Amino acid sequence: MWKIIETSLPQMLAAGFKYTIPLAIISFAIGLIIALITALVRLSKIRGAFIIVKIFFRFYVWLFRTTPLLVQLFIVFFGLPYLKIKGILPEGIKFDPFTAGILTFSLNTGAYASETIRAAIDSVPTGQWEAAASIGMSRTQTLQRIIIPQALRVSLPPLANSFIGLVKDTSLAASITIMEMFQVSQQIAAENFQPLLMYSLVAAIYAVFCTVLSILQGYLEKRFSAK
Amino acid sequence: MKLSHVNKTFGSNTVLKDINLDFPKGKVTVLVGPSGSGKSTILRSLNLLETPEAGTYEFDDIKIDFAAGVKKDDLFNIRKKTGMVFQSYNLFPHLTVLQNIIEGPTQVLKQDKATAEKYAHELLEKVGLADKADAYPSELSGGQAQRVAIARSLAMKPEYILLDEPTSALDPELELGVLKVLLQIASEHQSMVVVTHNMAFAKKVADKIVFVEDGNILYEGDSETFFSKDNGNERIQKFISAMTFSDL
Repeated sequence: MWKIIETSLPQMLAAGFKYTIPLAIISFAIGLIIALITALVRLSKIRGAFIIVKIFFRFYVWLFRTTPLLVQLFIVFFGLPYLKIKGILPEGIKFDPFTAGILTFSLNTGAYASETIRAAIDSVPTGQWEAAASIGMSRTQTLQRIIIPQALRVSLPPLANSFIGLVKDTSLAASITIMEMFQVSQQIAAENFQPLLMYSLVAAIYAVFCTVLSILQGYLEKRFSAK
Repeated sequence: MKLSHVNKTFGSNTVLKDINLDFPKGKVTVLVGPSGSGKSTILRSLNLLETPEAGTYEFDDIKIDFAAGVKKDDLFNIRKKTGMVFQSYNLFPHLTVLQNIIEGPTQVLKQDKATAEKYAHELLEKVGLADKADAYPSELSGGQAQRVAIARSLAMKPEYILLDEPTSALDPELELGVLKVLLQIASEHQSMVVVTHNMAFAKKVADKIVFVEDGNILYEGDSETFFSKDNGNERIQKFISAMTFSDL
């Protein structure tokens, strides 16, 4: 048994470092930017034609929160190539697997994290807005320097939770032919007929990755809440 | 600084009814009255945290017609000329005491950091917290937090400081420290408008007293007459005796 682990573990870890971790980190970083923009648009008080932009972002959040991630991956990777419009898109929209993965995971994370950030911004007391206004700060300055730093502190635990969830969700990328950790474990299991051992092994690696992350989360929370 | 014919409603509730008031420069104007009388709304209108529906607001050469709306430039200039101290301090919890004080000067007035810090240290000295520059707000007592808030508003060198029940959240011993700081600032001819329930303080600090009830001004004048037994207004006498517990 140790022999089998000895040969398969390095392959899985290699896939983990090559695909699983980059997929999670890049998607989460892009997702956070999308989330912040989405939250700010949805909280903005601008009226008029801007309402269309607000509706668009609301629709986006609704769409990604009400459909399964696996289905989203399938639509982006297998579906969009068939979105052919004569003259404009004769070839459909084609992504390589990794790009399709990044795109879907980013948009999915962005939709969920935007709700977290929106709630966190809302949770900052109005007194903070008033205090900033009373020293002459503009809305943008207030957001940047007073509200968002406090909101991020509040949203740290739920965002860390989302990130840990994302690390595990990258296993779904196996279904769109990305050679990430879970895909590799499936292939090895198909060759050595040890599914229980191989899938337990890959589960253990996910557990180790996520444990490291939650330790990091604890450290960050301590650092930011000390003040 | 002057308000004329100001009206403000919240929903169906009229909180200010045709208010006319002026706030003399270099003097301390104290607003008193029962809770919900509209005195805080008057104060908050002065730095435009509330926008009345009608009336005018004059401040030096700025003239705002509330019915026509507030222009962005006017808003910004009024906020620069007025500082606000809140009942619940509203310090920025993620910044140190020093950073709280220099935030406005560096970000809004675009002062360089060294200048702003130098003045911040002077102000901390003045409010008796020279040793707290690097503390965070959560490490301060209520009285200390409020004194930092006073320093934060002074750092902008405002023409007027507006104080909204600055000591209502404090126990009497801490309140005393804050009131002493305010008395000292008043003695330097800083223009102030104070909403307070503390009659002893009002009596001591006020150059002008305004009594507000149900959105109306029932008294406007000097503090001596206001607190004398023969001010000719039964309602005000009843209020003062209740606030000073003289009938207990």
